Amino acid sequence: MKKLLFYTTLLCLPIAIHAQQDCANAVPVAAGTHTVDGIDGQAPTPVCTTETTNQANNGEWYIYTAPAGDDVYVTVTSDLEVNSGGDTRVQIYAGTCDNLNCLVGDDDGGNIGEGFLSVASFQANAGESYYIAWDNRWSSAGFDFEINEADAAPPGQLTFTAQSVSTSGSRLAMVDMNGDYLDDLVSVTANNININYQLETGGFNPVDINTTNADYTPSWSLAAGDIDGNGYNDLLYGGGNGVTFMMANEDGTAYTEVSGPEFVFSQRSNFVDLNNDGHLDAFVCHDIAPNVYYINDGEGNLTFYQGADPDGIPSGLGLVSNGGNYGTVWIDYDNDRDMDLFIAKCRGGNTDAKINELHRNNGDNTYTNVAPDSGVDLADPLQTWSSAWGDYDNDGDMDGYIGASSTSDGPTKYVRNNGDGTFTDISGSVDLSNTPLGIENAPADFDNDGHIDIFSNGRILLNGGDGLSFTTITQTVPDSGAIGDANNDGFLDIFSNGLFLNNGNDNNWIKIVTIGDESNINGIGARVEITSPGLGTQIRDVRSGEGFRYMSSLNTHFGLGQDEEIEIVTVYWPSGQISVVENPDINDTLIIDESEALSIDDITGNDLKVYPNPADNIINLETSIQLNNAIYSVFTVEGKRVLNAKLDDTKTIDVSNLATGNYFIRILQDNNTYVQQFLKK
Amino acid sequence: MSKYYLTLTTILFTLLLSCGNDDNYTPMGETDDDPMMTDDDGGSTDDEGSTDEDMGVTIDLTAVPFDTLSEYGFFDGNLANLTPNEGVLEYSLINKLFSDYSIKKRFIWMPEGVSASYDADDKLLVFPVGTIIIKNFFYDNVLPQNARQILETRLLINTADGWEFADYIWNETQTEATYNLDGSNVDIMWELNGETRSVNYRIPNVTECQTCHKSGDTSIPIGPKPQNLNRDFTYTDGSTANQLDKWIEEGYLQSVPADVSALIDWQDTSAPLKDRVRNYFEVNCAHCHIDDGHCSYRPIRLDYTSSLLDENIGVCVVPDEDLGNGLTHIIRPGNIQRSTLYFRLNTTAEEARMPLLGRTLIHEEAVTLLEEFINELDTECE
Repeated sequence: MKKLLFYTTLLCLPIAIHAQQDCANAVPVAAGTHTVDGIDGQAPTPVCTTETTNQANNGEWYIYTAPAGDDVYVTVTSDLEVNSGGDTRVQIYAGTCDNLNCLVGDDDGGNIGEGFLSVASFQANAGESYYIAWDNRWSSAGFDFEINEADAAPPGQLTFTAQSVSTSGSRLAMVDMNGDYLDDLVSVTANNININYQLETGGFNPVDINTTNADYTPSWSLAAGDIDGNGYNDLLYGGGNGVTFMMANEDGTAYTEVSGPEFVFSQRSNFVDLNNDGHLDAFVCHDIAPNVYYINDGEGNLTFYQGADPDGIPSGLGLVSNGGNYGTVWIDYDNDRDMDLFIAKCRGGNTDAKINELHRNNGDNTYTNVAPDSGVDLADPLQTWSSAWGDYDNDGDMDGYIGASSTSDGPTKYVRNNGDGTFTDISGSVDLSNTPLGIENAPADFDNDGHIDIFSNGRILLNGGDGLSFTTITQTVPDSGAIGDANNDGFLDIFSNGLFLNNGNDNNWIKIVTIGDESNINGIGARVEITSPGLGTQIRDVRSGEGFRYMSSLNTHFGLGQDEEIEIVTVYWPSGQISVVENPDINDTLIIDESEALSIDDITGNDLKVYPNPADNIINLETSIQLNNAIYSVFTVEGKRVLNAKLDDTKTIDVSNLATGNYFIRILQDNNTYVQQFLKK
Repeated sequence: MSKYYLTLTTILFTLLLSCGNDDNYTPMGETDDDPMMTDDDGGSTDDEGSTDEDMGVTIDLTAVPFDTLSEYGFFDGNLANLTPNEGVLEYSLINKLFSDYSIKKRFIWMPEGVSASYDADDKLLVFPVGTIIIKNFFYDNVLPQNARQILETRLLINTADGWEFADYIWNETQTEATYNLDGSNVDIMWELNGETRSVNYRIPNVTECQTCHKSGDTSIPIGPKPQNLNRDFTYTDGSTANQLDKWIEEGYLQSVPADVSALIDWQDTSAPLKDRVRNYFEVNCAHCHIDDGHCSYRPIRLDYTSSLLDENIGVCVVPDEDLGNGLTHIIRPGNIQRSTLYFRLNTTAEEARMPLLGRTLIHEEAVTLLEEFINELDTECE
């Protein structure tokens, strides 16, 4: 009664002329249908949709208050038949008029008419008020909208809430920058690195760090990794004419620019230890020439190489003369515990530049493109800019989702890893009809159900569990962005035009930080495995640089579904060392330090014989153990891995390229290691 | 055997001609790569009247590319004057690529006894081995001297193995240009229509050259198609001739059909908007957006012939790549804000702008034209 009186009063007063014209005069609205006569009031800011610019001149303001005593899930929609043909945009805020915080916004979420109507949902707290502002980004015409209340978000629904965050520059990375293993938000301009440091207590500490004017800005991609191992991640800017590195100083408070003179038309960039010397190297896709890479001498100095080079990577890493290299991702597809390289390629016309490549790491500083091999069959012209690799069926090996950016040379290809170095094309048997074309494809478990999903161009392809069916989520999902955990709640968020916080669910999770010792300090290239009672074994590679443009978290994230415990976590370091942690806490971050890894000669079985010993060119292995898909690694006595590959049926190993000296040979079979020493003549 | 020379009178005459020259083409008020005073539309001597046949340029094709531009002997006297020697023929295109408002002077040279042949109006002339296409890039009114600064001279050399690229970077004193295909950037500040402008001008690396100059993996020229050459040109001896006729007369072209079509100048405001847009696309976009081009995996086809169909220029076509920003179609009739093509032409962001290479500034006149064109379109998208 009182409320009604209040509304009536409001409408009768002269102030009514100004009603809904600006935030201060927002018109109270409740669940039901409302009419906007036309948009001629004050334009709302900030913009909460994924736009980069606010081009609205006017807005209409409403205020909604959730029922006292009840949290409700509110949907605001103009996607109504009566509005067919219309074009709306809505921004929804929490806070006060002089401090509005974006909750969510929507431009074209509707389906009716041309699909230009808007739908936005948010979780409203009992009794709290929220501002709903429609703007005239597209049209000032009037329309109707509805406010619907539900008890909760639809069950199992993956949704994100936009949160306003103050940044400056291109928003490109969600990765730890100050060594506390919490993902920070990184935005870059030519002479500034804007970092929103995530606080342990929640929220961010925004800091601007001025830099020299970078020769090249990260217009095509950004990657992060700790090149000099000082505990602070350095940045790589992939520009159209070259590459700039920004090296963090001893406490991460300043950055020194290192820009090479070499021309590089950068596309995806990555950090990885290319030559397995324990130092992090950099790799950059070259759009129109053979790929380039920068080898780290261990002092933080990088040497530029392009193509095949006896002092760099003798085999090169993608040699097609006019390039076509768009998206690289470093994966261990053949489970031999070293990083292989998939190159997503794109190029018009009849040219080899558009044929995808898969470079197998031979474990001896050389790589072989196996994509054309029978059974691998990945040498396709799919016009792809990125691919998402993950164990979508949780059978212990990396499957590939190679996202087409155009259908001119065939649609997206989805392949299942057969576990023996070959793949089966299952694109035909999995419904991919709702998957978008585009340039960004990256894997992540967004709903923490223990099954990896795919973030692809404004949609999340939610894994049905067996990797054979995907549900497409579009609502509240941003177009693209860096993936990480911006609020340390164990649910993966997205950072691009805004910060999109995952609303989460009741599934369990674990995050694992890998700190390398013999290996690079980020542990990039490590294989991380966890085993839990219900889900069995899940695997990840620690990767720097996924999707096309953005840099996602270097923390390894697993969803656990309803599993309450993890039996064992195993980390296979790029050095060849192995770390094992039993029964870690869940819903927490687990830090694993390679310096506490098992020792190489930590023998779990010793009937391994190696002959002849001393050896000339070949060693033979003899053992009573059933060797099946076993991996052999040869280490120097200093512990450096010098050979690494799957053991073939002959059980012989070519050691002819090894220098004279003592070596360990380790056989890894089903998590058991068998070690023997031998002398190379 | 007497030396070919230019008298001071000729130079003055040349300048006068350049200033006063107009052929069948009316320059717009806005400047593109072809402003008055310095344009490539007229005004150079092609050595008629000089009788010295020995002065014809002779180039040992097995020895190219030379270290310096002067070694070719294309130009007589002061190199920076770009005064062609005998057998080096200046030409102009009806429509020219926008290159950050730089100005270009084009020449062609062929060895004795060979000539190009005609294929089709909209196909490149078939050039004989030995052909060298010469393109000089410069700005006028470069500050602080307010003078012309030539930045680079690009060559396309048709060898027995196909077209090869060479680029010669001019020194500051404008006395010589030196071979370099590594790519570099030059900061230029200049005055354009009374306004001070600046650009970080890009001199391309060899792979950048090939990115635009190719079909499939094969390197090719872009501009010299009969329909783009078919215009009058005023040579500095004062004679005006149709370029195709002139090339035939000079022995550079075998023959052409009587009815070769001619492109219209995209800046010709009397022409229909769509024609102007198609002509702009033809020379600025079609080297990639064409069958077998760099970007042929995208749905649009922007060569003049294909662009007759609205669908080929993206009208109501949903782009493969969603750039966000509310962009819904490559061209959405009546709505530039929803049109990806407009967005890409109207930005300098490296990752979004089109053309992909060769442009860091917005070509304002082209964007204005595109806006007019899109706003006038009234097709209903399904």
